[in-house]
Amino acid sequence: MIRRFSIARLSIGSRLFVSATLCSLIILFGAGFVLSTIYRRATERSFDERLQVYVQSVAANVATKNTANAIDPYGLGDPRFTLPLSGWYWQVRTEGRLTPEVLSSLSLFGGRLPRLDSLNIPAHDGSAREGFIIGPDERRLRLVERALELPDGSRYLVQIAGNADEVELAIMSFRNALWTSFGLLALALGLTTIFQVRFGLLPLSRLSNEIGAIRRGTSDRIGGSFPDDISPVADEINLLLDVNRDILARARTQVGNLAHALKTPLSVLINEASETDTPLSDKVLEQTSLMRDQVNWHLDRARAAARAGAIGVVTDIAPAVAGLERTFLKIFSYKQLAIASALEPDLKFRGEKQDLEEMLGNLVDNACKWARTEVFIQALAFTDPDGRPFIIFEISDDGPGLPAEKRAEVVKRGERLDETVPGTGLGLSIVADLAKLYGGDLALEKAEKGGLKAILRLPAV
Amino acid sequence: MRLLVVEDDRDLNRQLVKALTQAGYAVDAAFDGEEGQFLGETEPYDAVILDLGLPKIDGASVLESWREAGRAMPVLVLTARDAWSDKVKSFDAGADDYVTKPFHIEEILARLRALVRRASGHASSDLVCGPVRVDTRSGRVLVNGEAVRLTSHEYRLMSYLMHHVGRIISRTELVEHLYDQDFDRDSNTIEVFVGRLRKKLGIDVIKTIRGLGYVLEPPTPPAA
Repeated sequence: MIRRFSIARLSIGSRLFVSATLCSLIILFGAGFVLSTIYRRATERSFDERLQVYVQSVAANVATKNTANAIDPYGLGDPRFTLPLSGWYWQVRTEGRLTPEVLSSLSLFGGRLPRLDSLNIPAHDGSAREGFIIGPDERRLRLVERALELPDGSRYLVQIAGNADEVELAIMSFRNALWTSFGLLALALGLTTIFQVRFGLLPLSRLSNEIGAIRRGTSDRIGGSFPDDISPVADEINLLLDVNRDILARARTQVGNLAHALKTPLSVLINEASETDTPLSDKVLEQTSLMRDQVNWHLDRARAAARAGAIGVVTDIAPAVAGLERTFLKIFSYKQLAIASALEPDLKFRGEKQDLEEMLGNLVDNACKWARTEVFIQALAFTDPDGRPFIIFEISDDGPGLPAEKRAEVVKRGERLDETVPGTGLGLSIVADLAKLYGGDLALEKAEKGGLKAILRLPAV
Repeated sequence: MRLLVVEDDRDLNRQLVKALTQAGYAVDAAFDGEEGQFLGETEPYDAVILDLGLPKIDGASVLESWREAGRAMPVLVLTARDAWSDKVKSFDAGADDYVTKPFHIEEILARLRALVRRASGHASSDLVCGPVRVDTRSGRVLVNGEAVRLTSHEYRLMSYLMHHVGRIISRTELVEHLYDQDFDRDSNTIEVFVGRLRKKLGIDVIKTIRGLGYVLEPPTPPAA
């Protein structure tokens, strides 16, 4: 059978695991994004602050000397401003003149820095702007500029550019560290979730094991203590099992009571009619015998129906077989039969004792009726190809036996449960029906000693 | 042979008592477990027919209490329950045979004969003592192959003696086993019956042991 995937069938463990994993992934991604944004801002701001220091120092130079030319090209104390295309540049431009005078660091190598105010970058603090540009060396640069107006009315634009790679590198290494540690964190969270799910669901899986044991028949109720939240479930299941057994027991009792109630009046009728010899008494005898067969037949079916669904009942076979042996030795004491048994130790039938006795009783009764001197009962453990345990009972006698075609007919009758004619006599069809109800079967063979060998296969524990 | 029938159904009880009396038994009847248990414990029965579904005390408990009290008479159990588990329980409680309802009286009679016979150690339904032969199935008595007509009381006496050949049987024992509890017991009637029986048989098999009772023995061959 192909099972289609459906959320409703997803196990509780998977649900908890999937939801916990999804939530922690979303939280981790969000936190990572926020953290790296904050870090980027902070890094850029501190880089800008360094650049601002250079801007201030160039501006101070211009202000005191009152001319752009007065700036010492080697000044600012940072050699990178003198190395050609180092990525660190300054530039001062006079404003408000027809021919603007531009003075720049040696590192700019005669190139020019673009103006941020022409790139539509808004100013703050009145005249300061920051932004990224592509420098003359095709590198990405961070540019800070400030417009300067001296008391004498001359205006300057001071610009400092620094290599943005520095910022990017810092951010990149931060990001690497961040995602690595978050990855590890996610992994740890996942493992924790698995552990939590396992530990949290432990009582549930214990409950399902207990139920499995009841189904297999190795236990008859749910034992042990459970956490407060699922112990009501365990109690409820135990209660259901008790009710199930009660109903079964009551059904049996009622069937027995009905049998008693009907059979005694039937005996009276039969005996009363046997006393006289009139057409009426003949009719009564004929009809009571029909009634007796019908009552027996329907009682057997009713008993079989009461059996269906008995859960978790296990019967030790040794006492049942011993009881039957004692009984048959007494019943057939006039025949002086030798009734012997060989049972594999500790065999347990998965079903009611009464049913086991009914099946074996009918088979042994049949064997005793036909046997000349001995009846032998054997029980062996057997495991079918699917790994299910069975008990194989072999009941053999040294009587005349049955021809092969008759043997098949007798057992087959059990298959047509509803068509079985009442009062066909042989208890073998009842055995076959019962065995079938339990998932076993009945077969007849020729015994080693010449008589009949009945082979009854029943589920074991 | 004296029997006890414990059956709560009045009609069935009556039928059993009638059929058994006709078959030559002295029969007492009880209609519930309490009465049955008391009678079975106090009276010497040769066999008991016991229904399992009884009011007051159930049949299986009655049977168990008899066996615990050491009462060993053969018990034929009657029941509507024909499952093997019920039969195993009955036999374990001490039953000797088992008949399920509904039944024909003939079946009960046959089973009873077999039970009584086996209890006194006889394998065949023909009881033989020298030239005397009693067929318990037909109730016929033959002496040297010739049928002897006996009344039911005489047959009862003959049958009891034949079941216990060679054992000295007191008059009290005979009274207890030949008459039901309502019978006016007078041991003198026994002497009358024994006298009649001796006359009808025509041979000397019933011997009087003074002060003890009677014994049935094959006639001693006439002294050569």
